[in-house]
Amino acid sequence: MDIRIFRIHSKLIELAWPKVISTDILREQQQVRRFFEEEYTEGIREIRIGFNTLSLKLRIEISENDCADILEEINQLPSILGSFSSKIWKIPVHYSPESGKDLEKLAGIHEIGIEEIIKIHSETIYTLHFYGFLPGFMYLGGLDEKLYTPRKKNPERSMPSGTVAIGGKQTGIYPAESPGGWHAIGQCPVRLFDISKERPVVPAIGDKVKFEPITREVFEDIQQLSHQGLYSWHHD
Amino acid sequence: MIKTPAYIHFIQPGLMTTVQDLGRFGMAAYGVPYSGVMDRFSMTQANYLLQNQFYDSVLEMGGPGAKMVFEMPTRIVFVGADADIYWNDKPVKAGKILEIQEDDVIHIRKFRKGQWLYMGIQGGFETEIVAESRSWYPGITPQFKIEKSDSVCYLSEERFYPALSSHAKMNLNWFKHGEIKVYKGPEWDQLPKLMQNRIMKKSFTISTLVNRMAYQLEETIENEVEPILTSPVYPGTIQLTPNGTLIVLMRDAQVTGGYPRILQVENNSLNILSQKRPGDRINFSL
Repeated sequence: MDIRIFRIHSKLIELAWPKVISTDILREQQQVRRFFEEEYTEGIREIRIGFNTLSLKLRIEISENDCADILEEINQLPSILGSFSSKIWKIPVHYSPESGKDLEKLAGIHEIGIEEIIKIHSETIYTLHFYGFLPGFMYLGGLDEKLYTPRKKNPERSMPSGTVAIGGKQTGIYPAESPGGWHAIGQCPVRLFDISKERPVVPAIGDKVKFEPITREVFEDIQQLSHQGLYSWHHD
Repeated sequence: MIKTPAYIHFIQPGLMTTVQDLGRFGMAAYGVPYSGVMDRFSMTQANYLLQNQFYDSVLEMGGPGAKMVFEMPTRIVFVGADADIYWNDKPVKAGKILEIQEDDVIHIRKFRKGQWLYMGIQGGFETEIVAESRSWYPGITPQFKIEKSDSVCYLSEERFYPALSSHAKMNLNWFKHGEIKVYKGPEWDQLPKLMQNRIMKKSFTISTLVNRMAYQLEETIENEVEPILTSPVYPGTIQLTPNGTLIVLMRDAQVTGGYPRILQVENNSLNILSQKRPGDRINFSL
């Protein structure tokens, strides 16, 4: 594995992979995470990951020498073959200029039709790398290059809960009402984060996600079910 | 011992008034921030003075204005920012245990020094525990900020309190000095030596952009540090934006961020930093 280790202080270290968004790196991160969870259970307070980083918050103090040893142990892990046996979660989205108020502008920027944007966005299979930004916000890898769009210079004060948007090389869903600098293209009726549940989110890190275009009517039906806690997620 | 649920009614909410404890851990994997008191040192003192558990929840106030009425007897204490506190219109000092009676009124007025004032209460508050913490945060707890005419529950204890011998001497100067201890962050080495030296030698001013998520500093550092891919951040992480602004992440910080992380504030220094107000100056030391 191509990893560097950085010791911020005696109880906080970070591993960094090359600066790319890739499922290969995600797979290695998962392997390293499992290694730490199994081998260093007692010593670890929390593990967080980013696209190319894995951060360890420790209960014990470690030295620079310990870091070198850890890196060596990681490099001796057997290389993993094959791919994730991960689920593809279907997430319904109502794409329309009403629920995605930047859809028309985006079509203008990329000089393609609204239909084409929806087609590209909903036919791609995305990978869930990690949660961050807001409770239940999925960092997804895999956006088609044709849809890369620089973030807005001036973020909106409020994006409604469920807004599906594109920002830079990423796409995602705002799980709650929030300020945001991404371009809205649609809205998802499903509640993505429920703190009353034992596990407040559904897709797991490494799972795949695919957006399913739905009509306004279906949107309203699902929204009602979801609010009543009766909506069940489905996957391939 | 009989404990009766009672309420504090807020006639005025004050600024950024919330219930906080030490925070919510183990939920970062779902994107949930730690939250918890901005200044742990003061919270711990308040609970110590009341002989509470060290983790009992307290009321955190980020400015003047809170005015509240107590339904039933309890004991409270104020610690943290140096503020004008009135108990039934009479001024009272921080660090003194106040034996609150039915219908007593507390009014917080001018903040003289410091950013956060804590009110500890006998046994802590009885607000909802969500994911093992009472710390308020939008989307996680039913309440996330005291609004006018809100109420907060506590347990009134009808028993004889042994009088505490004397009230503790409060050192209100503990957060006065401006030296903030830091560690190098993952992207520190991407700054040219000249810039590193400048950051360490320069004084920085706390801007008016101060809240539970982050404190922004006024002075900017021109830089060409390459952007990073979204990576983990923590309370105390100092981010450097492309336009040169330094952002110190605080307790409600999101769990990941996309700006280079140049420094990480040491834990005790984070308590000191949290008590700085807009216009206050700080220096970093490695």
